[in-house]
Amino acid sequence: MIRRGAGLAAFLVATPVLIGIAYSALASVGLLGPGSTGFSTASWASAFDDPQLLRGLGWSLWVASAATALATMAAVVVAALFRPGTRSSGVARLLAVMPLPLSHLAAGVLGVLVLGQSGLLARGAFMAGWIDQPAAMPALIYDQWGIGLIVVLAWKEFPFLALIAFSLLADRGRALEEAARTLGARGRAVFWAVTWPVLWRGLMPAVVAVFAFVAGTYEATVLLAPSDPLALPLLTMERYTDVGVAKRGEAHVLVLIGLVVGIGAVALHEAARARDRRAT
Amino acid sequence: MTSVPAMLRRGLLPLLLLSAAMPLAILGLASIGSDWFFPALLPGTFSLASWRNVVGTGALLGPALLASAALALATGLAAMVFGAFAGSAIAAATGWRRVIGAGAAFLPVAAPPVALATGLHATLLGAGLGSSIVGVFVAHVVPACGYTTLYFLGIFTVREGGHEDAARTLGAGRFDVLRRVTIPMMHRELLEALLLGAIVSWGQVALTLVAGGGSVRTLPLEVIDYLVAGQDQLAATGSLLLVIPPLAAFGLMRLALRNVELVLP
Amino acid sequence: MRGWRWLQLPALLCGALVMACDRVAPEPTSRAIAAQPWDSVLAQARGSTVTWRMWRGDPSINAFIDQWVAPRLLERFGITLEVVPGQGPGMVNLLVTEREAGARGSSDLLWINGATFASLRREDLLLGPWADRLPNARYIDTASVIIARDFEQDPGGYESPWGQVEYALIYDSARVPDPPRSVAELGAWIDAHPGRFTHDQSFSGMTFLKILMYALGGGVERFQGGFDSTAYAAGRDSVLGWVTRHRAGFWRLGATYPAGVAELHRLFANGEIDFSMSNNENEVISKVRQGILPATARPLLLRDGMLANAHYLGIPVNARNPAGAMVVADFLLSPEAQLEKLRPEVWADGSVLDVSRLPEPWRGRFAAQARDPHALSPDSLRRYARPEVDPEYHERLTDDWRRTIRANTPR
Repeated sequence: MIRRGAGLAAFLVATPVLIGIAYSALASVGLLGPGSTGFSTASWASAFDDPQLLRGLGWSLWVASAATALATMAAVVVAALFRPGTRSSGVARLLAVMPLPLSHLAAGVLGVLVLGQSGLLARGAFMAGWIDQPAAMPALIYDQWGIGLIVVLAWKEFPFLALIAFSLLADRGRALEEAARTLGARGRAVFWAVTWPVLWRGLMPAVVAVFAFVAGTYEATVLLAPSDPLALPLLTMERYTDVGVAKRGEAHVLVLIGLVVGIGAVALHEAARARDRRAT
Repeated sequence: MTSVPAMLRRGLLPLLLLSAAMPLAILGLASIGSDWFFPALLPGTFSLASWRNVVGTGALLGPALLASAALALATGLAAMVFGAFAGSAIAAATGWRRVIGAGAAFLPVAAPPVALATGLHATLLGAGLGSSIVGVFVAHVVPACGYTTLYFLGIFTVREGGHEDAARTLGAGRFDVLRRVTIPMMHRELLEALLLGAIVSWGQVALTLVAGGGSVRTLPLEVIDYLVAGQDQLAATGSLLLVIPPLAAFGLMRLALRNVELVLP
Repeated sequence: MRGWRWLQLPALLCGALVMACDRVAPEPTSRAIAAQPWDSVLAQARGSTVTWRMWRGDPSINAFIDQWVAPRLLERFGITLEVVPGQGPGMVNLLVTEREAGARGSSDLLWINGATFASLRREDLLLGPWADRLPNARYIDTASVIIARDFEQDPGGYESPWGQVEYALIYDSARVPDPPRSVAELGAWIDAHPGRFTHDQSFSGMTFLKILMYALGGGVERFQGGFDSTAYAAGRDSVLGWVTRHRAGFWRLGATYPAGVAELHRLFANGEIDFSMSNNENEVISKVRQGILPATARPLLLRDGMLANAHYLGIPVNARNPAGAMVVADFLLSPEAQLEKLRPEVWADGSVLDVSRLPEPWRGRFAAQARDPHALSPDSLRRYARPEVDPEYHERLTDDWRRTIRANTPR
């Protein structure tokens, strides 16, 4: 294959994003796009002047962290428990990855239908006599902490991480674990000394990608998130489709902030990996 | 006495079954039922009305399904080929080249779709591809290539090129090595990358909306419009159409890979 | 250097971006069409395709366009109708981007009003004046302030009226047999029934706040005659004060608000709240027919006055087929098309025609038009209709509500 193509590959894959960033940067200072009136930093000033920005950013980071952590834990547990060998564990692995192709939009719709205060869970609770009206059901969607959104996003991302975890354990985990057993390690010791490190290192890039994606995802968020704090993707879209075109510049400021979140996650990961390599 | 892992396994299995079966069951019910108000567990009336919007005259969901499928397939193929080359190239690099390469591959994955969409749309319009299905394809290919490049970067980082080296020693040309050694050996990885790229395209909303100028109608866009209009039955039917084809592709892939060593049963 | 061939595409893209930065003036060809005799407009339109960008979210409206309008356009005028989806802010974004890139237009006809019209006019993206030249324009109810002024703006021939609607609350006659009928009664009702009322964050929710602003701020007259910051500040304070006073009685204590009117309908239909609302007084009727709202749902007007507005058709400055677009707009204004649109089982969208100006048999047909038994009477609709004011009121009120109410949840 191409031996010297790394630079070219990087260039090709990054250029469209860089064009997007350039456009947003120009639009954020009033040089491009609807409502642009020549160079001005007004959009930056008013975006940062809005208290909704920091709270929305913090909230999005919380939801992304919680959902990514939940999905990762579930993937590790399922991968560690259902190892190849028996038929039932094969079925379990298949069931685990089944929701993989589900779109975030469909996942969000399901979240509303199941978790809403008048959703299927609430109806079941009503039938069981536990609640007498929707308001008696705990608020799982449009709630301050984003519980329903976190559950839905974790459920949606879990199959992706599980698929990679299965693959990691099948490729490298098995041989290493056998070696560890030959050397006398047992049960829990094998897990913590071999299985866990293999999963953790192998899963990290996917976990970072999931985090960056979840922090910026719009479809499930708009269906399940509260209006205060307003998640960063919602705040961005609200500015982008505001009735007054004057808000478009602010939308591009928020776009750039979202980009910093995604790139920040990647940079942290790369830095951690570099440190890891030096340490070992 | 049963061990803790065994008990966990027994407890988790029904949960996994629920997570796999629930989407189809609930969306299926919602797509044929209306008058489904709290506290009713089942819809009050059933009708196939929303399914007429898949095929009948003036149907919106059917054509959108076709557009989505064509885009997903084309995007998957393009991203598979690109990702394999780019991933192997970056994996072969060392030092700062590799860091920059990996960082670049992360960019389209980590960038929020709107960041990509607006600039891309302006560029595509300038190139005469704006608001067309080709423009949307180009827009979908960007994040899809990011994902497949990262995917192959992982694969090629751990993969040893021993078989290729052996073939080359035996006098095989570059193309022969690719055709007779690498591609047959990487059967599974290539198909998985195809599926990965296709799924990225399949679920896109923001990129399609902006790069297509709203004129290119894919299934997720129809579903969003129905949701915004409160047409839950039609939205459920559209969502169900969003779930079935990838599931089928998934199943087909498993069949096609019967003879390859698989992680999945 | 095999690699350099690969560089051509990105280089092309970068070049395009640079090109995008200096604005290409639109081709002036289409402006001339508006001045031609109608016969020649008809002749040019024959055999052409008209791309109509409009909101596509309601199956009843879609069915009317696809199954009633489109075949008639083809049969009578030889026009093929192609409908593409798009809404206000998205249309503005699209047209600006098309102009920046110097690209060909992707729409001939736009469904617009209010703030979208204002934005498009401000950006000089609408073709005109052409609307007054349509043959059917002579039947328009020009005496109605709702139709003659679009959010106080003079359409000036840059858009042609298509329909009109009036804002209405929606309640469930089974759950609330005796609903509040004024803003004061509504406030008392909210206090007495905590957790059963809210409004959404989108356009319709903000329109509800504007209705409150008229009612609590001394009537619509205070806000007419262009945007006035003093009148606005007083109006805003009274609305936001009202909301703050009753907020504890809102759904979820007013800590969160549904994203759009669809979410509001869903909460209402499932009994989480007792009121929904709609920009269109007849939406409740079509949603009941569709099984989305319960059969006992009814429209409700507040005596303090509601809001009525008209919606229009515009032609973008980069339209490829302005002649065809004008013919479509004229057909949609015809008594036949306006009557069909009015029928409750079709769309129930208000006509913009003055029935007294119509020739027979149309006058009789409009008079005999059956109405849904649960629809509001034309008399009360007329009595409580208040016109829209300058779009800036809407923009500012939305902004201030977001900052002072939505972002400040009492916890």
